[in-house]
Amino acid sequence: MTNQTKSQFIAVASITSELSAVMVVAKEISLAAANAKAIAFRAGDKAKGFQPITDFINELAKETIELVTNINIYALVLYRLTVDEFQKTAAYNKFELAAKMAEGAVYAKSMQEPVDHARLSMQDCQRQFKRDVSQLLGQLEAVMHHARAARVIAANSRIEASQAGEYLQSLQAVAESVDKAAHTIHDNVQRCRIALSIYRNS
Amino acid sequence: MKMTKIYEGSHQWIMFGRDEGKPGNIVDTNQYVVRTANRCLLLDPGGAELFAPMMAAVLHHAPVDQITDLFASHQDPDVISSLGLWDQALTNAKLHAPAIWEGFLRHYSCESIEYVPIPDNGGTIKLESVELQIIPAHYLHSSGNFHVYDPQAKILMSGDVGAAIEGPDSPVFVDNFAAHVEKMRYWHQRWMPSNQAKRVWIERVRNLDIDILAPQHGRMFKGDDVKRFLDWFDALQVGIAV
Ligand SMILES: [Fe+2]
Ligand SMILES: [Fe+2]
Repeated sequence: MTNQTKSQFIAVASITSELSAVMVVAKEISLAAANAKAIAFRAGDKAKGFQPITDFINELAKETIELVTNINIYALVLYRLTVDEFQKTAAYNKFELAAKMAEGAVYAKSMQEPVDHARLSMQDCQRQFKRDVSQLLGQLEAVMHHARAARVIAANSRIEASQAGEYLQSLQAVAESVDKAAHTIHDNVQRCRIALSIYRNS
Repeated sequence: MKMTKIYEGSHQWIMFGRDEGKPGNIVDTNQYVVRTANRCLLLDPGGAELFAPMMAAVLHHAPVDQITDLFASHQDPDVISSLGLWDQALTNAKLHAPAIWEGFLRHYSCESIEYVPIPDNGGTIKLESVELQIIPAHYLHSSGNFHVYDPQAKILMSGDVGAAIEGPDSPVFVDNFAAHVEKMRYWHQRWMPSNQAKRVWIERVRNLDIDILAPQHGRMFKGDDVKRFLDWFDALQVGIAV
């Protein structure tokens, strides 16, 4: 296996592992949102500004989970494509070797067609991989966007929390945890993007 | 890859083996090709490592598009781990292999090749006007195992039965049966699991008119050595590991 193939396998495998961490964190946000909703409800008028924010956080967490689920399916497709490309490349190399070893054989020329065919399907795979990586990067960008939005909401939550009297501390804790989670998502997704970006369709 | 023509009549049998380029840590194998006017059958085409030299060697006898049939006596990697590569190289080819191994052999990838499952009681492979018989050899050594008999050429391709591990320079035919026995004894005792299966096979094979017994490893047996082999094998206790 060449180094290039190895790192491609690793890049694709790392998406799945980074994303499973993102999934855990997104679920944490969703939990924090439910928690915040309960507190805001108890706080009544004091947390009036906080209530729509909790709905928003919840929505954001749900969308992130949905996105990540889709991306995971995509990552599996990408993994299969990597296996396929690896096999096609191996076949192409063996066919070329066979053609070379057959030099001087009566029917050596008949090997040309399999060689050409193998080269084309290997290149097809490589192109498809690049196309799919570009699409996946787009989806990861969407998750990043959600993470950034979550951080803005966390900042707003802090402001709203400061007006919530005795509920200040618990609402601030919610804002903290949303912010922290959004941070983690941002970092993990960023690592995926860096790992994949070298394969992007240029 | 050394090529030896072992039958020349209305069709040909060619033995391929003793590959000088083979990595030292994989077992040496014999591949057989049956060539008719427009078709070509590869018997136990070999491991993935052997694909390129084997393909190159076959191209001395037939163009790629006339390699229409493959036969796998059983599922072992030295027999057929090249399947995924033949599958990509050949269009319109068939793989004749034991029915019970189908789901397993497909792990090697079998997308364009048509898997023709051989039922337990055997069958035939028709190659233009040549009809080859598929002889059951179950448990010798694999649970689903077949040999190929050509009544016209009087050749029995016998898979791992009759095999011996030999050096790359050894002759392709047994020339001193008594000396050859020692190279076969442990192989047969250790690899062949069942005395009963052995007896049934010997009975069946004694009824065939055989000039050449062609195993997948080592040397072929010719003329009287075929009978000598059957007698020797008949008397041997196998399945010694338990
Ligand atoms: Fe075997
Ligand atoms: Fe074998």
